[in-house]
Amino acid sequence: MNFQVFSLTVCVAMAASIVSAQEVRVYNWSDYIDEELLTKFEQETGLDLIYDVFDSNELLETKLLAGQSGYDVVVPTGTFLQRQIQAGAFQKLDYSKLPNSTNLWDVVAERTAQYDPGNQYSINYMWGTTGIGVNVTKVTELLGGNASIGSLSLVFDPSNMEKLATCGVHMVDAPTEMIPAALQYLGEDPNSHDPEVIAKAEAVFAAVRPYIQKFHSAEYINSLANGEICVAFGFSGDILQARDRAAEAGNDFEIAYNPPSEGALMWFDQMAIPADAPNPEGAHQFLNFVMDPENIAQASNYVYYANGNLASQEFLIEDVISDTAIYPDATTLDNLYTTTPYPTRTQRVVTRLWTKIKSGT
Amino acid sequence: MGRFFLIATPYFWLLALFLVPFFIVFKISLSDPDIAIPPYVPNLNWNEGWPGLSDFLTQLDFENFGFLLTDDLYWKAYLSSLRIAVLSTFLTLLVGFPIAYGMARAEPRWRPTLLLLIILPFWTSFLIRVYAWIGILSTEGYLNQVLQFTRIIESPLTVLNTPTAVYIGIIYTYLPFMVLPIYASLERMDLSLLEAAEDLGCSRISAFWLITVPLARAGIIAGCFLVFIPVLGEIVIPSLLGGSDTLMIGKVLWEEFFNNRDWPLASAVAVVLLIVLIIPIILFQRNELKQREAEGS
Amino acid sequence: MVDPWNDPDAKPLISFQNVTKSFGSFLAVDNLSLDIFEKEFFALLGPSGCGKTTLLRMLAGFEAPTSGSILLANRDITPIPPNKRTVNMMFQSYALFPHLSVYDNIAFGLRRQKMPKAQLASRVDEMLTLTRLERFANRRPHQISGGQRQRVALARSLAKAPKLLLLDEPMGALDKKLRQETQFELVDIQEKTGTTFVIVTHDQEEAMTVATRVGVMNEGQLVQVEAPDVIYENPNSTYVASFLGQINLIEGRATPTASGIDLVWAEGQPRLHCKTDVVFSSGQRCHLAIRPEKIMIHAEEPESRNKVCGTVLDIAYLGNISTYHVELISGHVIKAQTTNDRRISRRSFTWDDSVWLSWTDTAAVALAN
Repeated sequence: MNFQVFSLTVCVAMAASIVSAQEVRVYNWSDYIDEELLTKFEQETGLDLIYDVFDSNELLETKLLAGQSGYDVVVPTGTFLQRQIQAGAFQKLDYSKLPNSTNLWDVVAERTAQYDPGNQYSINYMWGTTGIGVNVTKVTELLGGNASIGSLSLVFDPSNMEKLATCGVHMVDAPTEMIPAALQYLGEDPNSHDPEVIAKAEAVFAAVRPYIQKFHSAEYINSLANGEICVAFGFSGDILQARDRAAEAGNDFEIAYNPPSEGALMWFDQMAIPADAPNPEGAHQFLNFVMDPENIAQASNYVYYANGNLASQEFLIEDVISDTAIYPDATTLDNLYTTTPYPTRTQRVVTRLWTKIKSGT
Repeated sequence: MGRFFLIATPYFWLLALFLVPFFIVFKISLSDPDIAIPPYVPNLNWNEGWPGLSDFLTQLDFENFGFLLTDDLYWKAYLSSLRIAVLSTFLTLLVGFPIAYGMARAEPRWRPTLLLLIILPFWTSFLIRVYAWIGILSTEGYLNQVLQFTRIIESPLTVLNTPTAVYIGIIYTYLPFMVLPIYASLERMDLSLLEAAEDLGCSRISAFWLITVPLARAGIIAGCFLVFIPVLGEIVIPSLLGGSDTLMIGKVLWEEFFNNRDWPLASAVAVVLLIVLIIPIILFQRNELKQREAEGS
Repeated sequence: MVDPWNDPDAKPLISFQNVTKSFGSFLAVDNLSLDIFEKEFFALLGPSGCGKTTLLRMLAGFEAPTSGSILLANRDITPIPPNKRTVNMMFQSYALFPHLSVYDNIAFGLRRQKMPKAQLASRVDEMLTLTRLERFANRRPHQISGGQRQRVALARSLAKAPKLLLLDEPMGALDKKLRQETQFELVDIQEKTGTTFVIVTHDQEEAMTVATRVGVMNEGQLVQVEAPDVIYENPNSTYVASFLGQINLIEGRATPTASGIDLVWAEGQPRLHCKTDVVFSSGQRCHLAIRPEKIMIHAEEPESRNKVCGTVLDIAYLGNISTYHVELISGHVIKAQTTNDRRISRRSFTWDDSVWLSWTDTAAVALAN
C-alpha cells in the first residue's frame, strides 16, 4: 500500500466518523420496544437512530468483547453487564446529561447496584422474573384442581413431573437461571458461588431429567402457546408472550405465569454505553429519552414488561400495572432474589454441570 | 507474469480463506482466557518490536489442549459427533443412492427437471426448512395428524426432540450433497456394461454390486465426505430438532465460547475438530488422485 | 463333405421359428425363420435399422420375441434370462469393465460360475495367449489400444467357452487396415475354438471375408441366406445385388429363349442375352445384374453376343483396379472394371474415348422385379 492509498483510507474513515456524529446506534433485544418511540426520538433530537436487535446475551457479549462493535447503546442483562464492566467494555455515564434519571425506581436501582455499583455504568430498561409457565387446563387435568402450580415443587418433585411428562415439560437452556432455582428449592443460597453447593443442584435435576422433554432458549414460547407442552420454566416475558399468542389463536386452554412462591430470580436488562461508542453524546440523549416516564410507560404497555422507572407507573395501562405476573405485589417483590455472575472457574463448573444434567455426560 | 498470477490466485485464496483464519484460531488456542477486550491474553504489541514478539511467544502454551484430555466430556462429544456423522452419512447414502440411480436411469428429457427438483430446496433458507420440520414432526404436527387421521396410530408419536428427528433433519438437509455426485457418476455409466455383466452370468442384483456400485464409487465417496464433514460440526439441526441430551462437539464448542467465554479453549476444541476432519479429507484427496490416475492416461 | 445347410438331416444349433419382434408400432423383426448350424460363422448383413441387431439381442436374451420361438440345441430359450444362457456376446462398444484389469475382465464370467482358482487361471492364460494379450493382463482397459481392447472383449466373451458367440459389429470401431487383419484373426480363432459365431455387420466386405453364410436382411426380413460367393454371384433380388459390391442393373423386358432370356432394354440398342434357369414370361419386366469386373472394355468392336458402345465419362483409379464409367448413346451409364497390370501412363483408355463393352451370356444374372 502506498502513502496516497493510506491517506485516502484515513480520510474515508474520518468522513465516516463525522457521519456517525449524526447517528445513534442502538442494539437491543428483539421485540423489546414500541417502534413509534424510535420515530419520536428522531423527531425530538434530529438524530438518525439505527436500531438493531439481538436475541442472546452471548451474541451481544461476543460483539462487545471482540471490540469495535460500533454501537452507542447496548442492553445486556445484569449478570453479563457486571463481567463486561470488569472487561472494560463500558464507559461511565455522565448523569449531568441524564436529567430524567430522577424518575428511576429505588427498589430496582438498589438491586441493579449489585451488578453495577452505584449504577455508574447503566440504567435499568426492563426487568422481570424467571418462573413457571403452566397450561392450567392440562395441568389441572393431570394433577387435580388443587395442584400448586406456582411452586418449584411442580417442576422439581419427581412425583409431579412423572405425570406432567406425558404432556411435555421444557426448561430454559440457561444454567444461570435454572441452577439458582434448584438451589432455592433445596433451601440453599441461590446465589452461592461455592462449587460444592452448586453441585447439589445436579441431584435435583437428575431426579426429574427423564421427564424433561427439552432444554432450549426459546422454543417453549411456541410449544406452550400451541399446547405441545404444558409446563415451561423460563422468563416471565416469554411465557406472557406465549399466553397472549394462545389467546390470540383462540386455543381452548389457559396459560398462566407465576414467579415461584419459594422465591423467584429477578433479572434486569440494563442500558449501557460501550467504551468505544462512536457517539456517546447521542447515547446519553437516547438514555435520557428512555427515562422519560411517558416514553418508558409506552414501551412497557407495548411489551408487557415491568420497568425500573417509578414515575412511569401512572402512565401504565391497567393490564400491565395490575398484573402480578408483571408487577408482583409487595410480598412477592420482597421474596425475589438476584444472582451475581460466577467467577470464570466457577462458570466452567456450572457449564460443565449443566452439560452433565442435560446429556448425562 | 500473467501465468504467475493464474497459478498464484488459488493459493492466495487458500491462504486468505483458510490458512490465515486457521492460524488466528490456532494462536488463540495457545492463549489464556481473561476478562478483557479481547477476552484472552497475551496480545501481540507491535510497538514493542522484537522483545514484544518474543515476550508474546513465550506466553503461548498448549495448556488448553492438555485440558481437553482431563475431562471426558470432550472426547465423548467428539465420539458422539463422529457416531452421528457416520450413521447419518450412511443413512443419507441409503436414501440418496436410489434417488440418484432413478435420476440417472430416467429418460434424458426428464433429467434436467429432476435435477432442478433436487436443487430446489436450496432456494429457501436452510433455517426455514428446518423449522418446517418442527411443524411436521411435533406431536400436533402434520405427520401425527396424517397418521392419526388414517388410523395408523392411536396416540401421537413423539418424534420431535429425539435422535430420530435429528437424523431426519440431517438426511433431508444433506441429501442433495449425496445425490448430485452419485448422479454425476451414474449418468456417465455405459448401460451396455450391465448387459455385458448379465451376459457373463451375473444376475441383475450381482451386476449392480459388481459393476454399478464400483463405477459409482468416486461419486459415493465424494457424496459421503460432503455429508460427513459438515455433519460432524453440525449444531443447528440437533439444537432445533434434537433433545437436549444430544451431545455434539459443535454444541460443546458453542458453550465454551459463549457460556464459559473461554475463547482459547473453544479455539482448541475447533483446532482438534479440524484435525479430526483433515484425516478424512486427506483420504478423500488421495482417492481422488488415484481415481484421476486410473481414468486419465 | 456336404455343407450342413444343404443336408436335410443336419440338426441346427439355432432355430428361429416365425419370430416377430415389435417395438410399439415399429416392426423390427417380421415373421422370420432361420436355422444356423454348429461351427458356422454366420453373418447378418444389412443397413442400420434392418433388424439384425434385434435378432442378435434376442439370441443373447436382452429382448424377448413378441411371437414365435427361438431354439438353441432343440431347446426353447425364449424364457431363459441372459445370465443363464450358454451364449455370450461381444458388444459393439466392447463394454469392458473400466474398473477391472484385462485379466479380471476375462476372468469375470468364469468367476460367476465359481470356477476353481487353478482352472480359472489356466483358462484366462489360455485366452490371453489366444488373443495375444499376455503382456497386457494387468492393464486397465483405458491403458491399451483400440485393437487390444477389441481382443479383450473377444477373449472375455470366449472365456466361458459358449456354444454360441454373438458379435455385434465387432470391428466397427477399428480403422480399415486393422479391421482387415482382425477379420482373418477372427476366422482363425473361430476355427481354433470350434465355436459357432453369429456376427452382425453392415460392412458387406467384412461379411464376405469371415462368414460361411451370409443372411442379408431388409426391413425385418431375411432377403437371402447363402454362402458369400453364391450371394455375390447369384443375388436373388436387386436389393441383394446392389447391397453387395458394385453392380450394373439394366432394366428391360424379357423374351424367353431356349437357354434363358433376351432383354429388350433401350431404343436402338441390341438385345442382351442371358443364360438363366428362372422362367420369365414374354414381355415380363426384369433386370439384368452385371458385376463391373465381368465387363470387358475394348477399343475396337469385339466379337461378342452382348456388346454396347459408348464414351468414357469417368475413371475411378483405385490402385489395383480402375472403374470406367461409360455413357451409352441411350444415356445409360455402365461401369466396367479392369485390373491395373500395366503402368498408369500406358493405360489404354482415357476420358471421352469411344469404347466398346462386352460380356458373356453367363456374366449377367436375370432378376425378376
